[in-house]
Amino acid sequence: MIHIVTPENAHLYKDEMEQAYRLRHRVFVDEMKWTDLAKPDGREIDQFDDEHAVHMLYIDDGRKVLGYQRMLPSTRPHLLSDVLPQLCEDERPAGPHIWEWTRYCVEPAHRERGRALSPVANALLSGIVEWGLESGVNTIIIEMNPLWLLRLVQLHFRTAPLGLPQPVGGQDTVAVTAAFDRRTLVRLQEMRGNCQRVLVQPANTMPLYLAS
Amino acid sequence: MAGGRELSDTIAFIRKLDRARSPDDVCAMLLEITRRFGVERVLAGLIPMPGADRRTQLSHVVMSAWPEEWSRRYFSHDYLFRDPTIEQVQKAATPFLWSELEPAYRSDFAARRIMEEASEFKLKEGYTIPLVTIEGDVAGFSLAGERLEMSPEERSMLVLVATYALGRALPLRKIPQVPAADLTLREREALQWVAEGLSDCDISEKMGISEHGVDKHMRAARSKLGTVTRAHAVAEALRRNLIR
Repeated sequence: MIHIVTPENAHLYKDEMEQAYRLRHRVFVDEMKWTDLAKPDGREIDQFDDEHAVHMLYIDDGRKVLGYQRMLPSTRPHLLSDVLPQLCEDERPAGPHIWEWTRYCVEPAHRERGRALSPVANALLSGIVEWGLESGVNTIIIEMNPLWLLRLVQLHFRTAPLGLPQPVGGQDTVAVTAAFDRRTLVRLQEMRGNCQRVLVQPANTMPLYLAS
Repeated sequence: MAGGRELSDTIAFIRKLDRARSPDDVCAMLLEITRRFGVERVLAGLIPMPGADRRTQLSHVVMSAWPEEWSRRYFSHDYLFRDPTIEQVQKAATPFLWSELEPAYRSDFAARRIMEEASEFKLKEGYTIPLVTIEGDVAGFSLAGERLEMSPEERSMLVLVATYALGRALPLRKIPQVPAADLTLREREALQWVAEGLSDCDISEKMGISEHGVDKHMRAARSKLGTVTRAHAVAEALRRNLIR
C-alpha cells in the first residue's frame, strides 16, 4: 500500500522515512552514481525535502519500504525551476494543479524484469493518480530518460515534451508534462488486475493546501 | 524563452498524430516530418523471441515503409536474428547510426552481407532508436535513406517523434486475423461428409476418390483452418459457415 507522508503525519512515519532516505541513497548515489547527492550518513536528503514536499512510500506488511517517490509543488522551487532549467525550452508550467514527480525509486528485487510494470511500480504510479484526482492535481512534471516516455503514453498519460532530450550526468534526460484522468487510473487498474485503492490515507485527511 | 524549431515541430507532430487512423497514416506523417533529414524509409516493430518463425516475425512489424522486395528477401532468408541493428537494439537502450556499428560487425560475414544488401535497396544510412513498451517488449524504430543528415538536436527530436509515433501506431494495429481459410470445393465437400458422420470409406465412395484422397483433403482442410484434429476442423468450418 502507498502511504502519503506530510508534516501533518510525519511523526507516525519516523522509521519509514529513515528507510526511504536510505533507499534513495542506495538507488541514486550507489547505483545510478549521482555522486553530487552523496551523504556521509547514507541518507539522501536535499533542499526540496521541506514542509512542502509530499512523500509517497510503498510499505509492505512487514513495515519495509520497497518504493518511494516525492511530489513537489510547481508553485515553489523544484528541480525544473532550480536545478534543471535548461530542460525547459518553453514557458515553465506552474500552478496549483501541477506538481513535480521526483526521486522515483524501487528496491531492486521489486522491479520489472523485462516484463510489464512491477506491482510496486504500478502502485506508485496509481498512487499519484489517486492522489491527484482527489486533490485537484491533474498534471505532473517529469524529468526522465526518454525511454520511459512510450510507457507513459501507453498508460494514457497525455504527455508533452518541454524540451529536447539532453545529457544530464551522462544520461539522456527529457522534461515533460504528463496529464492524467480517470482513464489513466482505469488503465493502471487493468494492468494490475484489480481496482482496489492503493492509497492508505483517506481523501478527507489530505492537507488543506492541496484542495485549492 | 521560446523553444527551438525542433521542439515546436515535435509538438505539432504529436498533435497531428491524433488524426492518424492507421499505422500507415502514422508512417506517412512520420515521413513528412523526417524527409528533410534524408529519411525515405521507416520500419518499426517489436523484437520477437529468438527462433520465432517467419509468420511471428512479420506479425511483430508495427509499421513499415520499407522496400517491399527487401522485406521479402529479409524475412524469407531469416536475416532478423543476424541483423547487427537488431542485435544492437537488444543490447543497449541508446539510439545509434548504422555507421557507428560498422567496426563491430566488420568481421561478421553474415551481418556485413545483410548491411550491404540493404544498401542496394537504397537503405544506405540509417538511424535506429530502441524503445521499450509497457508490456516489457523491446521495439526497434529505424529511419533510413541514401544519405541522412541530422544535427545532435535533430537526433534528439527524432527520439521523441519515434516514441510518439510508436505510441500512436501500437493501438491502431489490426489484431492479426485468423488466416482466411481458402478451402477448395473438394475440401469443403469432404468436411461436409465428415460433419454428417460418414466414414472415410463412405466418403471415398461418395466423392469417387480413394480413402487416401479423402485423408489428403482433410489434412489440407485441417491445416488451412489452423486446427489439429478433425473434430476441431469441423467445428471451425461450421463456425465460419463453410459447411452446414
